[in-house]
Amino acid sequence: MVRYLRLIAVWAAPLLFVAVLFYWPLTRILALGFQAGANSVELGHSTIAAVWFTVWQAALSTVICLLLGIPGAYILYRRRFRGRNFLRVLITLPLVLPTIVIAIAFVAFQKLNDVYSIFGIDQNSNPVFWIIAAHVFINYSLSVRSIGGVWATLDPELEEAAELAGAGRFRTLIAISLPQLRSAIVSSAALTFLFCATSYGVILILGGGLVHSLETEIASAAVQYLDLGKAALLAMFQTGLTIAALGLSTRIGRRAVSLEQIDESTRLPRLSRRDWAAIAITAPTIFGLIAIPLLSVFVRAFQSPTGWNLDNFTLLATRGERELLNVTVLEAAGNSLRNLAISTTLAVIIGSAVSFLLSRNIRNRGHQFATWLLDLAFLLPMGISSVVLAFGYLITFNGQPFALRTSWLAVPLIQSLMATPLVIRMLYPALESISPEQREAAATAGASAAQTWWFIELGIIRHVFVTAIGFAAIASIGEYGAASLLTFGNQATLPTVLFQLISRPGSTNFGMAMAIAAILILLTYVVVTLVAVRRPRPAWLASR
Amino acid sequence: MHKSYIPKFAYKLAAAIAVVGLSTAALTGCASATDSSTPSASPLPELTLVTHDSFSMSKEQLAQFKTQTGITVNIVKAGDAGALTNKLVLTKDTPIGDAFFGIDNTFSGVALQNKIVSGRLTAIDYGDVCMNYDKAWFKAKGISAPTSIDQLVEPTYKNLTVVENPSTSSTGLAFLAATVAKYGNDGWQDYWTKLKANGVKVTAGWEDAYYTDFSGSTGKGKYPVVLSYASSPAYEIRKDGTSGTASILDGCFRQVEYAGVLAGAKNPVGAQLLIKFLLSDAFQRGIPESMYVYPIVKSTELPADWSKWATVATAPLGAGLDINANRESWLTAWSDIFG
Repeated sequence: MVRYLRLIAVWAAPLLFVAVLFYWPLTRILALGFQAGANSVELGHSTIAAVWFTVWQAALSTVICLLLGIPGAYILYRRRFRGRNFLRVLITLPLVLPTIVIAIAFVAFQKLNDVYSIFGIDQNSNPVFWIIAAHVFINYSLSVRSIGGVWATLDPELEEAAELAGAGRFRTLIAISLPQLRSAIVSSAALTFLFCATSYGVILILGGGLVHSLETEIASAAVQYLDLGKAALLAMFQTGLTIAALGLSTRIGRRAVSLEQIDESTRLPRLSRRDWAAIAITAPTIFGLIAIPLLSVFVRAFQSPTGWNLDNFTLLATRGERELLNVTVLEAAGNSLRNLAISTTLAVIIGSAVSFLLSRNIRNRGHQFATWLLDLAFLLPMGISSVVLAFGYLITFNGQPFALRTSWLAVPLIQSLMATPLVIRMLYPALESISPEQREAAATAGASAAQTWWFIELGIIRHVFVTAIGFAAIASIGEYGAASLLTFGNQATLPTVLFQLISRPGSTNFGMAMAIAAILILLTYVVVTLVAVRRPRPAWLASR
Repeated sequence: MHKSYIPKFAYKLAAAIAVVGLSTAALTGCASATDSSTPSASPLPELTLVTHDSFSMSKEQLAQFKTQTGITVNIVKAGDAGALTNKLVLTKDTPIGDAFFGIDNTFSGVALQNKIVSGRLTAIDYGDVCMNYDKAWFKAKGISAPTSIDQLVEPTYKNLTVVENPSTSSTGLAFLAATVAKYGNDGWQDYWTKLKANGVKVTAGWEDAYYTDFSGSTGKGKYPVVLSYASSPAYEIRKDGTSGTASILDGCFRQVEYAGVLAGAKNPVGAQLLIKFLLSDAFQRGIPESMYVYPIVKSTELPADWSKWATVATAPLGAGLDINANRESWLTAWSDIFG
């Protein structure tokens, strides 16, 4: 009995967090929608088509991400070569770019497309092609890094033994590695699916507003027509989609193999000619799909009407302040970093607390279901339309009892709410895959639960932990929706400033916007690299 | 099993999160405590202005207003004109500000119908939504640049035009309204059908049309005709001192942007003072450079580039349309053509 009370006490804080910041405003806006007559909304062909498009494009994008991501994880986390750490960070950078910048960066591809069209292959006419390409561009790192993070901690002995026994790389992958990675693969697939299913800007901009998904339908119902009934009903569909995605992933991912984990400092084999297949997939993906658009942003940042120079950056320091913007770029960067620090800290604390609690051994079915529900409760914020949530915030946190909307803290709080599911989806499967013997051995040796967690489990999942912090940081620094809705006065962030500039004509505004995009990329690069810096393990930890 | 799985540090963690939560509540609680005083004849020292994303008021102007009235202005941005209007409607029972700026004549009907405005709408600025073209492109091709939107459906101008989607862009909606005004209730759909057949490209928003598709901007796209504003050429001045683009001054929609006091405002007196300030020369003079639209006060001096390159439309359209009543049916009909 006491144990249950203690359990409830520990769950209380994270649950309170998600209840206040998510379920309360969501309930209020949905209630308003159903009052407005969600049950009488007629769903025509267009809505069914939008639901279908949402599902298939997200599923296809996810499959492509996995097919490209597994070899990528192998190369970047299972092999050793010069520049590996740089590439690990590079692939995460697309996540930070505002959609309009992605559209501009993709122009580089569309020019390539002119070359293809000479040979009769013209993809340009079909916007869905570009939407899926953009989804892969953005989400590739999710599969690579969350699968790779677990892969790096696996003992290579089993794989090596299989190869010695004459199995080829491919057979070893299918028979040995993939089953061990199942839980990480399924988890990253669920994340990618949800990201693509709720994708808004990419579908809107690359689809010219003519391609409709659940999210764009919700936005147009809410923002254009103030049809809260329809928006609420569609938001329920989204919730259903999230439940289905989690249900499916739990089903496939269950009975994850407990892994024999090793310290990842063990020297990995060098990249060799025998890895050609994985290289043949990964090199074109990283250089062709990811590096080219990123590079084109830098090219434009250093281009001004007078040639190649730093004009755009100097203009940011001077004219940007006087003309359009209420804050200097330095202040905006400061705000961005402050939000990042708060939201990442919160998301990592809450996310790891929840993952820890979820991963404790489950003995019976009732428990199992309760755990599943709790898991779902923390995942739902990712699957719901941000427009709906934003409207919920407007009506909930406006007056009494607390006017969260007018506080600058609102932005990092919402960002942490969005990043928490990301952290959980990475840490929870990693924790689950730790073999219970390792925990029990530590306990037998006299370690308390806290010591076991801190010294043993965190040590083992360190790679995944670092990745989770990195993604939480990226989710904050590139975030635009909450920041644009809630920022007032001098609370602008880098993405909101970028948007201010790019919504005006003229080469100076465009150049300054590209300079900000370049700063955003560089800042993200620095933050993610700093997070990943390997700290030497303390001697007492290494000696375990 | 061994002892409990819940380690002690988890309680500390729980306490830490609770502290963060409570301090948030406390901080924001303070903010709301100051809000609850009753309106009086003298303005409160603070007010909130809710605007669309393109609004800009410089630090100097904010400081000037504060010196004149003692009022500090908080600016809240709420999306484009449509999102702004709908958010204000949604929150009309507990208004999120005291004054608003940026509801335009395509959405003013919604605002009035829902009674979110106390008193009347005050026009602050206007802008003409017009087609722009890339002068150099037409010169290089030896084709004469279009002078009327009629020509955009002709074979000479096939595959040359990019416009914004009226369901996702306020600029696009303005042009849709212009075509209704120009070609009438029976003719506008025919015009769009021909425009589509002539290879018009549709984008979601102004940014992508102008910067990824238009050939006359820094983005150097493939389309030499773009739906933009009559003022845009003033920002495309080339090295030789002339503008690289020009507007087609036919088929333009005049967007008028309004400010007003929100119904139920806590600081209506201050809001009224702010609207007066928005009409003062100190603010009106800065409008072209900060918001890229024309000041409503006719005597306001325009920047040099503007009087030269940002010509206003000769016969702007749209003044007689009931946009509020027709928006939905227009958009449905438009989507049927492009769906």
